[in-house]
Amino acid sequence: MDRRNFLKTCTAVAAASLASPSFFINTLKAQEGSFKPYNKAPLLKKDGTPIKPEEIDPTKQYLFFYPHRATPCILANLDKEVPPTEVKLADGSVYKWQGGVGPKKSIVAYSAICPHQLSYPTPDYSFINYYPQDTPSNIVKRGGVIQCCAHLSVFDPEKGGVVLDGPAQFPLTAIVLTYEDGVLYAVGTLGKEFFEDFFDVFKPDLRKLYKSSRKAKKLVEKCEVIEVSEYAKEVIRC
Amino acid sequence: MADLSRRDVFKIAGVGAALGALHMSSTACATKTAGRMLPPAKGNRVVIIGGGWAGMTAAKHLKKELGDKVDVVLIEKRKIFMSCPISNVWLGGLVDMEFLMHDFHTPAAKYGYTFINATVTDIDRDRRRVYTTDGYVDYDYLILAPGIRYNYDAWFKGDKKMAQICATHFPSAFIPGSEHIALKRKVDNFEEGTFILTVPPPPHRCPPAPYERAAMIAHVFKKNEVNGKLIILDPKGQIKPKGEGFGRAYQELYLGLVEYVPNAKIKEVDPVNKVIKTTAGDFKFDDANINPPHQAGDLAWKAGLVNPKTGWCDVNPLTLQSKLDPRVFVAGDASSVKGFPKSGDMAHNHTQKMVVKALVALLKGKDPLEAVQAPTNTCYSMVNGDPKEAIVINVLYDIDRKKKAPVKKKVNVVNDRSTQLARSTFEWAKALYRDMFS
Repeated sequence: MDRRNFLKTCTAVAAASLASPSFFINTLKAQEGSFKPYNKAPLLKKDGTPIKPEEIDPTKQYLFFYPHRATPCILANLDKEVPPTEVKLADGSVYKWQGGVGPKKSIVAYSAICPHQLSYPTPDYSFINYYPQDTPSNIVKRGGVIQCCAHLSVFDPEKGGVVLDGPAQFPLTAIVLTYEDGVLYAVGTLGKEFFEDFFDVFKPDLRKLYKSSRKAKKLVEKCEVIEVSEYAKEVIRC
Repeated sequence: MADLSRRDVFKIAGVGAALGALHMSSTACATKTAGRMLPPAKGNRVVIIGGGWAGMTAAKHLKKELGDKVDVVLIEKRKIFMSCPISNVWLGGLVDMEFLMHDFHTPAAKYGYTFINATVTDIDRDRRRVYTTDGYVDYDYLILAPGIRYNYDAWFKGDKKMAQICATHFPSAFIPGSEHIALKRKVDNFEEGTFILTVPPPPHRCPPAPYERAAMIAHVFKKNEVNGKLIILDPKGQIKPKGEGFGRAYQELYLGLVEYVPNAKIKEVDPVNKVIKTTAGDFKFDDANINPPHQAGDLAWKAGLVNPKTGWCDVNPLTLQSKLDPRVFVAGDASSVKGFPKSGDMAHNHTQKMVVKALVALLKGKDPLEAVQAPTNTCYSMVNGDPKEAIVINVLYDIDRKKKAPVKKKVNVVNDRSTQLARSTFEWAKALYRDMFS
């Protein structure tokens, strides 16, 4: 094991101790290459105080940027206990997703970069969105899904972001959350990441927003949570 | 001879070699005498003919899956890519041409495949060799993605002059390029009278495209206060797909401007006197967008892979390998698979999930039938330009492993036009352009 990997593993173990210990201890080795630790970043409200799980409205969808300054994530309260589950990829490999966190184990987060063709929420439009139960998708006629309106890939936020419908070949990248002393933290990602492709194909757009690729890629240490409708001028639902 | 330069000696030597080549093969034409273009590949070489939606998708995803383990060569005759999907939206003046234009060089450099900008002149399947205007390339596997050609013969029965007049004066614009620009000028310049749009008989490229085009032309006519109407002559009995959405748009947005005529199978086209005779009557026109029947592209015919009864290539419905030559995959519109529309989205989907997966499995010594994945097809149609509004159909397929064929699993249609779906239309296109070109 080289120094870098050793450090990664150390960080992962540190993260593990912060999350449900049994989850990480049992699965860390098996998850090698799937769980990727980043900064431990608290989820905060606009005023800088931690957002409480009960403040996350199940009828709304929220956004924060993690692990990079420019990589958006969806935060949702599914309003019920979401148990851990296994996520199976097309190549047969499997990883374990931690389920919901918070007192009700109902809070989940996913990268808002569509694994199909990388559509993501911009200040103008949000094409990939969480559809709360009372906001059903016109395509699959149900709520409780995450759907991208570019090519109509539909994902299941209750099952680790697996593909329910549409052309996506990979699940959404899960954001690993922990809940300690009333504070929600993002600690890493689980599953296949698309950040490299994202920074590559959107380079001109990201440079406009963040001045440079380096600034867009900066790893965050805290995350401000806002409603998607506050961030994007138009939320595209279909 | 004393004045002969070193360069001239090489020129003469080249001519000699070319003459030698001519003697060797009685069937060789001039272009076949050009030399080998690339050194032999270290591993397997896949040659892709055609840099359209299928060919661009194949080149990128083969390299993404196999990296240096495969040598990929893409041959395309055009100097620049112009997208046929979204061209109706451009015709309606809702995007500029730059939206449709892309370069072949960036993805070739990024993913490490060879881009040859030449015209294919012949395909020798026995020798597994592709001849181009610049020389020849040998292949282990060929992905043939030649798109479509127009079958004017169905109307003009070998009268090339009349076909030429029709093509020149009333270009179809189902193959991107000059025809599209000519059609846009017609639409923008039209002031009064009858403008006819004929729907090609199925199967044709992009089933909803003629209806979307009609909506976009009507949008321009409405904006320009044209004193006249657009007549859609459709050989089918009804608008399909998204018939309700198109029908409502014509009624609610373009009442009096658009007249839809079903069951209008074309019997005769007279481009000189501007008359179209159909099973629903004869129609005189002032200007028109006349769309002949479609067939597999020329190179599919040249390769001897077209079923003359259908005009399309018969393929294995899971791998899209030609039924006549398993070394050749026919990707995109030239192939015929039951239930697959000939659309850009379908070409992208079946190429990535079926052709590439099957070929990767073959090259790895695995079963290609096990490797293929079910495609999807998502097709937006812009029906209004002010505000921009669209409708959508989304077809999900399954792989029936017993029947060894794709089957439709679910069809989702949204006929209620919306500005949100219009936004999605643009994102649909941008995302696929990103996949193929960035």
